[in-house]
Amino acid sequence: MSTENLMLLAIFLPIVLAVVPLALVKKNALAAGAVAIAASFANLVVVCLAYGKDAALTLPWAGWFFEFTLRNYQFSSFILAAAALFGALLSVYNTVFLKDKAYGWLFHAYFLLTLGFVNGAILADNLLLLLFFWEGLLGLMFGMIYLGHRDAYRTATKAVIIAGVTDLCMMFGIGLAVHLAETATMSQMKVPMEGLGGLAFVLLVIGAISKAGSMPFHTWIPDAATDAPMPFLPFVPAALEKLLGIYLLARVTLDFFKLDGGHWGSMLLMVVGALTINLAVAMALIQKDYKRLLSYHAISQVGYMILGIGTCTPVGVVGGLFHMLNHTIYKCCLFLTSGSVERQAGTTDLRKIGGLGRKMPVTFVLFIIAAAAIAGFPGTNGFFSKELVYDGALERHWIFYAAAVLGSFLTAASFLKLGHAAYLDKGRGDASKVKEAPAAMLVPGIVLAALCLAFGAGNAFPLHNFIQPVLGDALHGHDYSGFHFKLVLVGGSVAALLLAFANHYFGAKSKGSGLAAVDHIHYAPGLHQIYDAAEKRFFDPYDWARNVGKAVAYVGFGIDRAIDFFFNKVVVFVAGGISGTIRALHNGSHATYLAWTLAGLVIVIVACMAGRL
Amino acid sequence: MITLYIALPLAVVLLLNLSPRRTANALSLWCGLVLTVFAGAYTLAMPHVPGLADAFDPANRVLQWKIEAGNLAGVMFLSIALVVFSAFWVGRYLIADSNRRFIFNNLLLLCMTGMNGIVLSNDLFTLYVFLEVVAASSFILIALERTNAGLEGAFKYVLLSAVATVLVLSSMALIFVLVGSLDYGTVKAVLTSGQLDAATSRFVTFAIGLFVVGLFIKGGMVPFHGWLPDAYSSAPTASSVLLGGIVTKAAGVFTLIQLAQNVFGWDKPSPVLLAVGTLSIAVGAFAALGQRNFKRMLAYSSISQIGYIIIGLGAANEVAVVGAILHLFNHSTFKTLLFVNSAAVEKQAGTVDMDKLGGLANKMPVTGFTSVLAMLSTAGVPPLSGFWSKLLIVLGVWLSGAHAVAVTAILLSVVTLAYFLSMQRRVFFGRLAPGLEGVKEAGGWLLVPEIVLAVITLGLGLTMPWFFNTFLVPLRSLWSL
Amino acid sequence: MLSLGTILLILLVLMVLSALWAVMATDLLRSTIALALTSVFLAIAIYMMGAPLAAVFELSVCAGLITVVFISAISMIKPEGNTRKEDLARKRRKRLKKYIPLPILLAVAGVLLWLNRVDLPFTPDADVFPLTLSEIMWDVRRVDIAGQAVMILVGVFGIVVLFKEFVRRGKGGEE
Repeated sequence: MSTENLMLLAIFLPIVLAVVPLALVKKNALAAGAVAIAASFANLVVVCLAYGKDAALTLPWAGWFFEFTLRNYQFSSFILAAAALFGALLSVYNTVFLKDKAYGWLFHAYFLLTLGFVNGAILADNLLLLLFFWEGLLGLMFGMIYLGHRDAYRTATKAVIIAGVTDLCMMFGIGLAVHLAETATMSQMKVPMEGLGGLAFVLLVIGAISKAGSMPFHTWIPDAATDAPMPFLPFVPAALEKLLGIYLLARVTLDFFKLDGGHWGSMLLMVVGALTINLAVAMALIQKDYKRLLSYHAISQVGYMILGIGTCTPVGVVGGLFHMLNHTIYKCCLFLTSGSVERQAGTTDLRKIGGLGRKMPVTFVLFIIAAAAIAGFPGTNGFFSKELVYDGALERHWIFYAAAVLGSFLTAASFLKLGHAAYLDKGRGDASKVKEAPAAMLVPGIVLAALCLAFGAGNAFPLHNFIQPVLGDALHGHDYSGFHFKLVLVGGSVAALLLAFANHYFGAKSKGSGLAAVDHIHYAPGLHQIYDAAEKRFFDPYDWARNVGKAVAYVGFGIDRAIDFFFNKVVVFVAGGISGTIRALHNGSHATYLAWTLAGLVIVIVACMAGRL
Repeated sequence: MITLYIALPLAVVLLLNLSPRRTANALSLWCGLVLTVFAGAYTLAMPHVPGLADAFDPANRVLQWKIEAGNLAGVMFLSIALVVFSAFWVGRYLIADSNRRFIFNNLLLLCMTGMNGIVLSNDLFTLYVFLEVVAASSFILIALERTNAGLEGAFKYVLLSAVATVLVLSSMALIFVLVGSLDYGTVKAVLTSGQLDAATSRFVTFAIGLFVVGLFIKGGMVPFHGWLPDAYSSAPTASSVLLGGIVTKAAGVFTLIQLAQNVFGWDKPSPVLLAVGTLSIAVGAFAALGQRNFKRMLAYSSISQIGYIIIGLGAANEVAVVGAILHLFNHSTFKTLLFVNSAAVEKQAGTVDMDKLGGLANKMPVTGFTSVLAMLSTAGVPPLSGFWSKLLIVLGVWLSGAHAVAVTAILLSVVTLAYFLSMQRRVFFGRLAPGLEGVKEAGGWLLVPEIVLAVITLGLGLTMPWFFNTFLVPLRSLWSL
Repeated sequence: MLSLGTILLILLVLMVLSALWAVMATDLLRSTIALALTSVFLAIAIYMMGAPLAAVFELSVCAGLITVVFISAISMIKPEGNTRKEDLARKRRKRLKKYIPLPILLAVAGVLLWLNRVDLPFTPDADVFPLTLSEIMWDVRRVDIAGQAVMILVGVFGIVVLFKEFVRRGKGGEE
C-alpha cells in the first residue's frame, strides 16, 4: 500500500471504527474495548509501515487555502508512531480498567475518535486543516472529561473554555501567518519574525504550549486529574497533548519562523519554560492526591521541553524533543500506576493509602523506575534528555540552568514524598485486602518502564532514529548520544538529587511520615501563605476571568434590561408598524396594483434613461 | 436532442388525451412522474454524455430546430423537473376529483413545456411565445378550483401579465426595428458593438427598460408584485407548489439573467436592479412578518427571496451571479418544500390560518422537521444550502461596491428568520391548538417530495465546498466578465 | 393629398379612441363592437405600412373571429336587468376616474418619444426578408409554431376547466 493511502488510513480507520462502539446494540464496554484494541493496533501497524517515508497528498477540499493536504515525513511520522504506540498500550489497559464502567463503551468510542483526530492533526500539512482537527480534539476532550462523574461537566467546561480561548488565539495567529506567508501549506510556510509576524508567532506559540499544558494555561489539568475518568489522564494530558503541543511548537519555532537565539521570541520561550518548571513543581510538592500530584508534574515537565526548544541551540532542541518522548513514556507509566492504585485500593488520596509496596510489588517497581526517570536519575532516559536541555540552557545563560536544576531538585523531592507515602508508609487506611493489579493492566506499564531504561542506557537508538533526523543539517554533524556530558552538568544534577534525598530523609525523620516529608517547605514562613492562596485558586486565570465575568455580568444585567426593552418593545413596535403599513397598502384592489406597476414603470424608465440601468 | 425537453411533454399530453379517458386518468400521474425523473436524469447526464446538449441534427432540414441550451440551462431544467415532480405528488394527494386531477396533470406538463421552452429559446419572439404559454397555463392552474378567491387571483395575474406582455412586445418591436433581428446573438452583437449613435442607443435603453419592467412583473418584484400574494394564496395548494417553486423564477428571474447575459450584455452593477431587489427583500420580509395565512406568508417570502437573486444579478460580478444562480436553485428547492408542507398542513389540519394551528410538530414529525430545515435554509443558516448562496450574493454585492445593499440584505435576513420562527411557533411548535388532537402525519404521497427536497437542501449544503468547485466555479467562466 | 404619416397618425388616434370606448362602455355588446373597430383601424394601419398578410390576420381573427365568439357568449348570459340611468352614469364616472392616469401617461410617453425622436431604420420588406411566408412559418419560426400548439392546448384545458363543468351544472339545474 502506498504511503498516501496509509496516511488516509491512519486518519479514517480509527474514526470509522469508532462508530462500532456507538452502534453496538448492547452497550458492552468489553466488546467496545476489543474494537478499540484491534483498531489501535491496526493503527500502530499502519503508522509503522509509513514510518520515515516522505509522501504528500492533496485532495480537493473547499479551495482558497482550504486544502486537504497531508504530509508524512521524518518528524510527523515519529510523532505519529509515538502516539500510536501509546494508543495501543493504553487500549489494553483501558479495556480492563473500564470493563465494569457504565460509560466504558462511550469512552472507547471517544478514544478511537481522538486517535484519528490526532493522526489528522499531525499529518495535516495545511494550517486550516490542522485547525479543523485541533478543534475536533477540543470537543472530544470535553466529552471524555464529562464522563467522569455527575459534576465533571464543570471541569469539562473549564477545560474547554481555557483551551477554546487559547485556540482562538491560535486561530488569529494562523490567520495572520497565512496572510503574511500567503500560503496555508505548512511545508512552504515562511513568516518573517517582525511586526505582525511577531504577533503571529506569539499567538501560535500560545496555541501550541497551551495544548502541551504549559503555564498559565494549565489550570484545568489538576482539576481533570480528580474529575475525569482515569484512562483520560495518561492518554490525553500525559501523552497526546504533549506530543501535539510540542510538535506544533517545534514546527512554529523551527520551520515557520526560523527562530534564532538572539531574538526576543527565544527569550520569551525560555522564561515561560523556566517559570512553568518551577511553579508547577512547587505546586506538585504539596499535593496530597496521587493523580493531582502527577498532573502538576505533567505541567512542570512541559517547561523543560519549552525551555529546550526555546534555547534555539541544536543541543537544547534535541533535548527538548527527546524529553517530550521520554516524558510521555514515564508520565504515561506513572499515570498507569495511579490507575492501578485507584482500582485496587479504591482511592488515590495519599492520606488514606499507604504501604502498598508489599501488596502491589510490580506496580511499586514500575513506579520506582518511572519516578527515577522523571527525577533524572543517572542512567534513565529522563536523565539524558534533561542533561541535553541543561546543556542548551547553560549555553544561553546560567540563570536558566539554575532554574532547571532547581526544578530537578523539587521534582525529585516530590517523588520521594509520593513513593514514600503511597508505598512505604504504614498505618493510613486499610491496605490488608489490596491485591496486585491484573496482568493486562501491568503489561503496558512494564513495556513503558522497560522503555525508560532502554532509552536511557541505549539512548543512541532513539536519538539516531527519531530525534536527530528531525533537525537534519542543523546539527552540523554533531551527535548527542552516549555519555559525553560536561562534568559540571552531571555534577550539578547529581548534587540536586543528593540534596533531594537529604531533604527527604531529614524531613521524613522529623515529621515521622513520608507524606509530611516536605512540610517544612510547605509551611516555611512566607511560602505557606502563597501556597494557601494557590490552593484557593487565587492564581488561576480561569477564576480571575470568572470573577471579572461576574462583575461584567452585573453591569451587563443593567444593559441587558435596556437591550431587552429595545428588542421587546422598540423593535417589535417598529417592525409591527412597518409590517402593518405594508399590509394595509395591499388592499387587494387590482387598480391599486396596476397603479403601482405603472408608477414603477415610469421610475424605472426614467432611471434607465438617466443611465442608471 | 434537447428538443426532447419540448417535444416529450407535448407528446405525452397528446397521447394521454387520445387514449381512453379512464386509462388516461390513471396513467397521467405516472407518465408525468416518469417524465420528470427522466428530465432530471437527462439533465444530470448532459455534461457527461456528448451529444445530449446539442439540438437535433442541424443538417437535416426536418429535424432542425432553432433552439439551444445555454450555460444555465442545466440548473433550470433540474429545478423545473424537481418542482414539477413535487407538484405531481401534491396534486395526487390534494385533488380528489380524478377528472380535475387529469386536467391538472396535463396543465403541469404543458407548463413544464413552456418553461423548458423559455430555457431553450434563443430568439426574443420564441421567448415571448413560451412566456405566454407559462402565463396562460398558470392562470388556469390558479383558477382550477373555480373558487371566487381563485378566480380573483387569476384575474389579477391576467391583468398584470397583460401589462407585462404589452411592455415586452413593445420592447421587442423597438429592438426589432433598431437591430433588424430578434436573435439573441445578433442583438447582442449590435447592442455591444458600441457603434450605435446617441439617439438610437437612447431608444435601445428605453426598450431594455420596458423589457426589464415586463420581466419584473412576471417575476413578482416590488412594486410590480401586486398579483403574486393573491395568486399564490388563492390558488389550489398543488398549483401554489408549481407557481411558488418555479414559475416566477423561470418566467421572470431566469429570463432576466439570460437576457442580461446573452442579449443586453450587462457588465457593470445596475442601480435599478439593486434598488428593486433591495425593495423586494424589504417589503417581502416585512409583509411576511404580519401574515396569518401560511401560504400568503410563503408568497411574500418568495418575493423577498427573489429580491436576493435580483441584487446578485444587479451586482454583475461573477461571485454574485454564481450566488444568484445557486440561490435560484436553492429557492426552488426549499420554497417548494415549504409549499408541500403547507399542503400537508392544509389537508391534515383543514386550515392554513396560523391562528388556528399550533403544536403540529408532534403530530406530523416529518413535515415539522422538513419545514424547520427549509426555513433555516431560507433564512441562510449554515450549513444549509441557502446559507451558501446568500453568502455568495452578499459577498458579491459587497465586492461590487454596493455596501449599503449588502448590509441591508444581511439585516433583512434576520427579519426572514424572525417571520419563519414566528411561523414555526404558530404552526408546528407551541401548544397543540384545540381541535387538532386527531391530526396525523401526511400520507406517502406527500412524504416522498418532502424527503427528497429536504435531502437536497441538506445534502447540497453539506457538500457545498465540493459542489462549489465542481459545478459553480466552471459556471463562473461562462459569465462573460 | 395626405401623406402616409398623416394617415397613420389619424388611424392611430382613431384606434386609441375606439379602444378607450371599449374600456369605458357599460354595455358589453357595445364594448365588443368598439373592440372590433379598434382592430379594424389597426388592420388598416398595418396594411398601409406594407404588411398585407398581417393585416389580413388582424382583420379576420381579431375583428372577425373574436367578435363572433364574444357576441355569442354575450347572447348566452342574461342581461343585467333594468339598471337605472343614474346608476349607469355614476358607474361611468367612477370608471373615468380610474382611467384618468392612462391618457396622461400616453401623453407623457408621446412627448418623451417626440423629444427623443429618431429616424428609425425603417426599411421595406422585400430585400430584408427574401424568405417566403411558408419558409418563415415552418423553418425560421418552427419553435414558435410548436409553442402556439402548446398555447392552443392550454386554451382547450382552460375552457374545459372554466366552462365545461359550469355548463354541465347548468343542465343539471334544468333537470
